[in-house]
Amino acid sequence: MSLFAEVWEAVKAVGAGLGAVNKRISEPAVTEFYPYKKPEIPPVSVQFLALIQNEDGTDRCVACLQCERVCPSQVITIERKRNPEGKGFVLERFDLDFANCMHCANCVEACPVSAIVTVGAFEHAVYDINLLKADKAMLDHIGHEAKTWYSPKFGVEIRTPDGRIEKAPPEMQPGGLAELLAEGEGGEAS
Amino acid sequence: MRGPTTVEPVPGRTDELIINMGPQHPATHGVLKVVIGVEGERITRAVPHIGFLHRNHEKIEEARTYPQIITYTDRMDYVSGLQNELPFILAVEDLLGVEVPPRAKLIRTIFFELFRIASHLVWLGTGMLDLGAITPFLYTFRDREMILEITEKTAGARMLPNYFTFGGVRRDVHPDFFKDVAHFLDFFETRLPDYYALVLDSPVFQARAVGVGVLSRERAIARGASGPVIRASGVAYDVRKAEPYDAYPELEFEVPTRPEGDVFARFWVRFKEMEESVKIIRQALEKTPKTGPYKGKVPPRVKPKPGARYRAVEISRGHLGTYVVSDGSERPLRVKHRSPSFANLQLIPDLFVGARFADAIAILSSLDPVFGEVDR
Ligand code: SF4
Ligand code: SF4
Repeated sequence: MSLFAEVWEAVKAVGAGLGAVNKRISEPAVTEFYPYKKPEIPPVSVQFLALIQNEDGTDRCVACLQCERVCPSQVITIERKRNPEGKGFVLERFDLDFANCMHCANCVEACPVSAIVTVGAFEHAVYDINLLKADKAMLDHIGHEAKTWYSPKFGVEIRTPDGRIEKAPPEMQPGGLAELLAEGEGGEAS
Repeated sequence: MRGPTTVEPVPGRTDELIINMGPQHPATHGVLKVVIGVEGERITRAVPHIGFLHRNHEKIEEARTYPQIITYTDRMDYVSGLQNELPFILAVEDLLGVEVPPRAKLIRTIFFELFRIASHLVWLGTGMLDLGAITPFLYTFRDREMILEITEKTAGARMLPNYFTFGGVRRDVHPDFFKDVAHFLDFFETRLPDYYALVLDSPVFQARAVGVGVLSRERAIARGASGPVIRASGVAYDVRKAEPYDAYPELEFEVPTRPEGDVFARFWVRFKEMEESVKIIRQALEKTPKTGPYKGKVPPRVKPKPGARYRAVEISRGHLGTYVVSDGSERPLRVKHRSPSFANLQLIPDLFVGARFADAIAILSSLDPVFGEVDR
């Protein structure tokens, strides 16, 4: 190929590329204006974990140690004691090290009473890594702050302005809930 | 025989220059160091150094229970995260004797192919960035974002979703899932012609790619290459056809191959694979019932009977196999991953020597290594 033909080919190629770019120039922008406009993340999205307390302020957690057992990075530490009144156990300590958490939600899936849940908050960057070592008070606090949360057993739940915990309407629920409620199959901890 | 571990200057030879490429070079897609000897523009010697991202996957996995390991397999090839879970899960399912419902197989296949498109889009964007074209990068990442959003809606995470599990998938797909995927496919098909115009059909790109880094069929087989790399050298080896898994036996698709074995052929094969993936997903969407079981019966404690099993899948980069040895307890005795990028990367001395220095970047991006999986 002569030099002129080659140059002509290159010019044509650049033209074709510009043509492809030109087609998209009038498309709406997809950039997210993040700090000014927060994106809505789906309820199942695994970001922050929280412990949920019942409406009367008691722990939902029954200290069964399932979450501690399934955690792959072993960041959950639970200490429990026998319940002085009645049967079962109560929590003495519940630590979760978010710095080493893999955000896999194995713990959320294993929990039999939906005490540990995923919440929609996602901005948890801090300057000091020790601030990511959460104890029970912090996890309870995140749970109190949360407006909606998700667990495979109960689906999405919402906290109403007057402090009651309610099941979210069906349009907010992710898939698979109908079967879960009907039978409970597939919901067991894997 | 051990190859040379470094490149030493030859005494008395003054026309050869020894340089380091990486480990912080932006075109090495992670942390690869290649010690290169150049003579003018020609590469005379090349020795790759790997292991900067070693995280001890296989040893950690011996100390974890079976359900916990799934989380770790995600982290090998983080660009196509979900695909890595499957070989381990298939192997353990075989050991457990678990039945997977057909619907779960189809859902897995849809996600598997979505991640193939996502991974090839990352490769196309970053690969063209290495060759000096910025536009495809901006477009491919925008398209990939749609796949990640679909994944997040259903699986709860974007890149490392931990979604497949023994006997199926963890939770049912989001009610919008089928609509979203169909919408993405329609959208993606309007985008593909642009990628052809910007990359494959462009004479500027062809001048950099045709006849560069030629890998012969024999050499590809001898080095154990797999995936698009071996298919671009004329070998129609695809695990999806050779040892079908999940829903692939029911679906019709072709295995694109090309005999040349140069950089252009490897780009071409990946383009065609994206088109095949679109076809596969369309068929799978049609076959998948809207509701139904998504997980088979699995014992609550996963304790496979003693034995060993090797299963392989075709991830975006090639043949990923996992060998699981069980001693009947909750933890495996041994887990071994055979990763495609690691084998493909062994071609560096073959392909680099004799090439021009600027072509080394093109060759590396056409191999598409991901270092989380090379080093594990
Ligand atoms: S999300 Fe995973 S890593 Fe994090 S605490 Fe739960 S089980 Fe452990
Ligand atoms: S699995 Fe749930 S109930 Fe059991 S200890 Fe963990 S948070 Fe508490």
